[in-house]
Amino acid sequence: MAGSHSDPLAHPEVQQGGALRYIAGFISTVLLMGAALIVTMRHDLAYQSFVELVGGLAFLALLSQAALFYGLDISRAQIWKSVSLILTVPLFIITVGLTVWMFQSLDQRTMVMPSSAAAATQPTLLQ
Amino acid sequence: MAHEAAPTANTRLFRPGYAGHNQISARTLGFWLYMLSDALLFTALFASYAVLDTPMNAAGGPIASQIVNPIEGFWQTIAILGSVTAYSLSTVSMKNGKRGGTALGIIASIVLAVVFLAFGIHDLTALAAQGDGMDRSGYLSAYFVLILTHAIHMGIGILWMLVMLVQIPRYGFNEMVVARMLNLRMFWQFQATVWVCVYVYVYMIGA
Repeated sequence: MAGSHSDPLAHPEVQQGGALRYIAGFISTVLLMGAALIVTMRHDLAYQSFVELVGGLAFLALLSQAALFYGLDISRAQIWKSVSLILTVPLFIITVGLTVWMFQSLDQRTMVMPSSAAAATQPTLLQ
Repeated sequence: MAHEAAPTANTRLFRPGYAGHNQISARTLGFWLYMLSDALLFTALFASYAVLDTPMNAAGGPIASQIVNPIEGFWQTIAILGSVTAYSLSTVSMKNGKRGGTALGIIASIVLAVVFLAFGIHDLTALAAQGDGMDRSGYLSAYFVLILTHAIHMGIGILWMLVMLVQIPRYGFNEMVVARMLNLRMFWQFQATVWVCVYVYVYMIGA
């Protein structure tokens, strides 16, 4: 944690903000989402490859936001935020991953649907 | 290791005014931890959405590919990222002690946030008007709850910004106002982070 400051505007959390960094965060996220949109609209990848590519672009966008918007790093002022985020990310993955994994098995065993209906629909993560 | 008095029932974890305790650092770290728990709320909603995003749970109603438009979602993405950038730039003005620039950034951020919300609310009301509301199917319940939860967060952020527009000219950049501005910056950036996940997962993978 940073030390005490008589001038609140001299606090490291205030001083870390920078116009170039925020504009770079905007541009990088828009470009990555634009690339993901192009991949989505082309419809020329297999579902698995499509999910991996778009997921990878989203991961890069989130990394870009963490560094450029939130300003997370290992400096004295930010280290506890970075550590708490790193400790929380596995919880996100476990929550979504385990839920999808459990219900995928349940879905395959209990939600039998007509093959014609299955063929007519877009695959989802559960399928 | 430093020798300190053993903790008692009257031990205080935080003492305002003590040079080793900083109000702004304590408030921003505390708010950051709250946001991580808020992120877990969204994680639960994403997990529910993943489970209910099947033709069976659509119950004869529309599925994702029939109700989402990735191109329209991209305009929303630009609007929310623009709003976050405008607010973040307003904190750069705050760093330079400029009240006018700070207020201008907040106003620009509110306008872009309203544009973002207008897109989303238009989509949801159009769906509800054609009989595909949140009670139509399990899938639509998950879809509406996910989108609306994010929209409610956005609404709270706009309200918070309006409060700051009053507090900045009234109190100036004192410790409390600066801490609130910094927490709002994190909160607002967090909305863009959640939206990236919603956009990719619902609007792209579902398309």
